[in-house]
Amino acid sequence: MDSSVYQVYEDEIQLLKEEIKLLSEKYEDIKQESTFFSDEEVRMSAKLFQREFLRECKGHTPPLDLKAELESLERDLSFLEKFTGIQITSHSKKTLEKTVNRTVRKHRLSGNCQSLPFCLEFQLLEVQNKEKVSAAISDLSIIVESGLCSELSKFVSSTEERGSLLMFFRSFSSYAEWCKHRRCTFLHFKAKYPNIVILPEGQEGDHIILRNSQLPGFELMIVWKMHINEEGTTTPVLDLLPKVPEQVGEQKKAAIDNAPTCFRSMLLLFGIETAIENLIQAFSLEK
Amino acid sequence: MEEGRNSDEKKTALCGRSLTAASQDGGGRMSAVPLAQGKVEGGKVYSGDGVLGYLEMLEAQAHELGLKQEEKEQQEKKLNRLKAKVQELRTRRDELRAKVELQEKRLLDKEGVVTDPARPSAQTVLEWKVKSIKAMLQVFYLTGISGKLTKQGICFCISTAYEGTYLDSYYVDLLIKPEVKIQRHSVPIFIPLEQIAKKYLQTDIRRFLSVLSDHLNAYVGRRHQADQLEEHFSDRIEGTLQRNSLCNLLVFNYTVSSDSKTFPFNVRLLYRDLCCSLPTEAIISCTPGTLSLLAKVAAAHSNTFRQMALHKAFDSIINAKESQD
Repeated sequence: MDSSVYQVYEDEIQLLKEEIKLLSEKYEDIKQESTFFSDEEVRMSAKLFQREFLRECKGHTPPLDLKAELESLERDLSFLEKFTGIQITSHSKKTLEKTVNRTVRKHRLSGNCQSLPFCLEFQLLEVQNKEKVSAAISDLSIIVESGLCSELSKFVSSTEERGSLLMFFRSFSSYAEWCKHRRCTFLHFKAKYPNIVILPEGQEGDHIILRNSQLPGFELMIVWKMHINEEGTTTPVLDLLPKVPEQVGEQKKAAIDNAPTCFRSMLLLFGIETAIENLIQAFSLEK
Repeated sequence: MEEGRNSDEKKTALCGRSLTAASQDGGGRMSAVPLAQGKVEGGKVYSGDGVLGYLEMLEAQAHELGLKQEEKEQQEKKLNRLKAKVQELRTRRDELRAKVELQEKRLLDKEGVVTDPARPSAQTVLEWKVKSIKAMLQVFYLTGISGKLTKQGICFCISTAYEGTYLDSYYVDLLIKPEVKIQRHSVPIFIPLEQIAKKYLQTDIRRFLSVLSDHLNAYVGRRHQADQLEEHFSDRIEGTLQRNSLCNLLVFNYTVSSDSKTFPFNVRLLYRDLCCSLPTEAIISCTPGTLSLLAKVAAAHSNTFRQMALHKAFDSIINAKESQD
């Protein structure tokens, strides 16, 4: 009998072994993805496990310390969330395709970035070739608060088209940080000059109004918008919009017309905080 | 003497036997020349000594038959083992298939959480949670900055991508006491790591990582574009694409045809902004004398290279040309 007869059986055995491996991984994946234990259950299990683990430790070599591993992973996750400002509130995934080299999973993710919420859905294709695993995103769908600037929606659609998940996170992070900075700045000035500074849209708004009780009808509006281009770079754009009552004299009018330009130069020279500070001081001294 | 003759005869008889055996297997044909001395009877050749030789021949035949029998039995055993193994694996595979199908059906029916009827053990719950957190940490990899706390600090992992394709990741292992210092890293030497660290590491680690990430992503993006150009358009490029290790200087040649004449173009792409993956300058040169004719084309091509990713720009240039021709 020649070896080709054996080969047929051996080939089938090899194929079956691969199929079994894939099916067991698929079973484990589905089990993982469709199970859920609350934090309370996890805490109780950790306590139980600790007791059993200590008992077993007294004997021979300790088994895998799951509780320690869990705690170490939770520390890593908590650190990353604090450091990057990205918090993931829910994450679910579903395995769509799994072969020896390829895995396709659909992910659903929601969270917030410096308190700006986002919601994502995408497909992740992982291909194993030799030692490296390559990953690619497709079918990216992003939802952010629609109230934000229209440029953000342009950025979001171009990101969705290209599947640029990484760039989305980096750019949205920087955008969110700028928004946080704007909020802090507005609140700072409101606290420092409560009688002059007004936040008509609250701390999340994109402008503040300066009013001097000694100059009725006279208002200065500082608008602070965030521009985000297609590459994902955020730029703050500030502008000054004066509102003057009708009976103001010619001289004053000229000075007021000049104000926005002065403000822009101050921004370039001194930065945002100092420019606004100077403006408020000048305004509050105005008679 | 007697023995000697006997052994000689034995030898010849043995030769005769083996020959006989061969010829018997071969279909009972007899060799034309009798090689053994002695009688030929019924296809069997045996020495003149008769019985002894005959017995020896029989013994040898039986021995060979026995060997063959054993071999056959071994082969059958092996075959049976393989068949049994196949059967066992088939059964296991079918069981798993049924299990997975049941899982999927239950998911469709209930659309959501499937709870195990048996109360899960503490170990099962913890294993689930560990896997779940590992999955979340993997998501951080997709965001660009991930890492792991170490005894002396943090080991950050900066991931890079070009649009939807994730490319290389780089590590920066930081010590945080007594001051923040880079212990180890896998950043290539042509990335100005020291400069960036000097500027930001002590005051703002997040900014340091962000700037470093910008440099790395831009480098990887430029490299990816050059690779894509080589992979998809090597036939349209004359010679090879030349590049430096930072991939911020790319030079290559291609041909432009106009009025059924072909002109060689040389493109020099400079990326002065290391955090950008689009060129700041695209210098196109042609053979002296032809520039005036092709100035418009060269200018258009230069614009395209500066505004679009390299492989997409080249693709659009090629296709535009073809539609013109």
